[in-house]
Amino acid sequence: MASTIVRDNSKSGSNIADAKSSSPARAIAISIKHLSKTYPVPLARLKQFFRRKMKQPVEALRDVSFDVREGEIFGLIGRNGAGKTTLTKIVATLVQPTSGTVTVKGYDSVREDERVRAQVGLATAEERSFYWRLTAEQNLLFFARLYGLDEAQARQRISELLERFEIEELRARRFAELSTGNRQRLAMARAMLTRPQVLLLDEPTRSLDPLAAARARSLIGSLARQDPPVSVLLTSHNLTEIEELCERVAVISRGQIRALDTPERLRTLHTPTERIHIFAKEISVANAKNLFLQKFDEMEITEKTGTLSLSFTRKIQDNRLNEVIRVLRDAGAEIVSFDVERATLLDVMESYEREDEVKAV
Amino acid sequence: MITSLIKFLRRVRAFVIRDFQLTISYKLEFFIRIMSILFMVTTFFFVSQIFVGSVNTPFAQWRNPLAAWITGMAVLNYFMTGFSSLANAIRSEQAQGTLESVLLTPISVPTVIVASSAWDFVQATLYSFLYLFFGWLFFDVHYEGSIFLALLFLVLTTMVLACVGILSASFTMVFKRGDPFGIILGTGSALFSGVLFPTQLLTLYGGNIVGSIPRLLPTTYGLDGIRRVLIEGQSFSQVTQPLVTLLFFLLALLPFSLWVFGRAVRRAKREGSLIQF
Repeated sequence: MASTIVRDNSKSGSNIADAKSSSPARAIAISIKHLSKTYPVPLARLKQFFRRKMKQPVEALRDVSFDVREGEIFGLIGRNGAGKTTLTKIVATLVQPTSGTVTVKGYDSVREDERVRAQVGLATAEERSFYWRLTAEQNLLFFARLYGLDEAQARQRISELLERFEIEELRARRFAELSTGNRQRLAMARAMLTRPQVLLLDEPTRSLDPLAAARARSLIGSLARQDPPVSVLLTSHNLTEIEELCERVAVISRGQIRALDTPERLRTLHTPTERIHIFAKEISVANAKNLFLQKFDEMEITEKTGTLSLSFTRKIQDNRLNEVIRVLRDAGAEIVSFDVERATLLDVMESYEREDEVKAV
Repeated sequence: MITSLIKFLRRVRAFVIRDFQLTISYKLEFFIRIMSILFMVTTFFFVSQIFVGSVNTPFAQWRNPLAAWITGMAVLNYFMTGFSSLANAIRSEQAQGTLESVLLTPISVPTVIVASSAWDFVQATLYSFLYLFFGWLFFDVHYEGSIFLALLFLVLTTMVLACVGILSASFTMVFKRGDPFGIILGTGSALFSGVLFPTQLLTLYGGNIVGSIPRLLPTTYGLDGIRRVLIEGQSFSQVTQPLVTLLFFLLALLPFSLWVFGRAVRRAKREGSLIQF
């Protein structure tokens, strides 16, 4: 059964290994406190006066609170319409919250919106955010000028970025002539024009080929490690990507943060067991059944093309795996490979979604 | 203060360069526009030839109807830009889908609107100049008086109309389409401001109520001032009345339009409709 789990690991003192986290005392880059957003019905009073039918106001976010630390890659996952884009737009100052506060590097997103925008770079998969009749370079130069870069600085930075994203040969091509993947790379380049300390990435690898996507992921990963480190708020439907990159992940459903933790711990909390498959040779089915079935009553033992397969479910990090391996070795078996099936972030996300659907009914 | 001004001018420059690059990517349109101005001036020349030798009008500015029409069209073109370009700038960015990425840069919404309409004024200056230039070059139209005084009228009237443009942009931001300021002033100015005929004729044919409409429009005072200077050769002391009236318009409209605009931006951000169109 899923429930709301919001945990800040820097304070939890947990013994679960978190390979991706570094210093626990990092400063806060983005602070979101009790953020709610309800989109009002446009011209409600006018519609009321003329007695026209009105839709209900849309509650996009409800009491959302979390922090993104300096140099952290923070993932935000949820279904379409869960509130990810609204949240990103509020951080980017494009939408005003109904209540609650967002501060970026200490600046308030409503009162000090220009200062916030100076700290933030946003890359979305939206292709219409560029001027289609201008070249890639002309587009970047325009935005660099708006960010206040002088001409020489802008040109140098653009060259660096075009090279970094491997699109330098496309600099004189019109945006309209670029492929979807290259447009997305250009959007990433634009987001990084001013070396922002906070990056908001909305599905940054959606249209990239697998190789380019892997490079983009490697680049995003390196941003958090550079000096000064970049904090990244990453929304993506690619859960493998989220798992690979993010130190912490928030699951958002119907405008509420339903869980926030490391990917590892989210999975563990969702399903505290895992399924192990061990493949071994030099041991017969009969011998294996004799060795295991008394002690491990749920173990499945099969054989295929001379390889024995043993499958069992265990609580994460109990000692059953060690025991099975020891028994196999003592019996003279050769372990060929093994596989672990764990709950994925998709399972976690689905469980909260199911729970919300039940509540809604 | 100076640093802010330099920053602002740099941003305006960025928008002007962008729009110039976009304009020259449509080369044919640019030349067709120039040709259309030449055709228009030529048409007015031939229409004016109908009245050659028979013009005996009490309206001093209309004794040379070609000069009156050309200045009328040149100035109207500029005035129309004044109040339509700000709203158009918003609409165009919204429709292209680029407004969001522009608004993500650390510049204020008013700067975005003013700067993104700057190219329209550059173009309008060129096209208005071409009306006067073609009249002088091909049809022997001569202009009197101080060009600087005429420019003062032009700038002042454009500023007044830009205030209406800000109201128009505010309307566009909230309601997206159907801007009443642009429609009323756009069509009204051509009819009631004396672009193609003397405003006195409205009183003559329409009575005192219709005849008083031109007095409510800033374009009437702007156009009258420019014609008094360029056609009648009047000096500063002779044109203080339309000049002062325009200043009153500006003093009343500027704070009001900025207040409305601030409210419109806040409302659009609250509704999350800043980039919708």
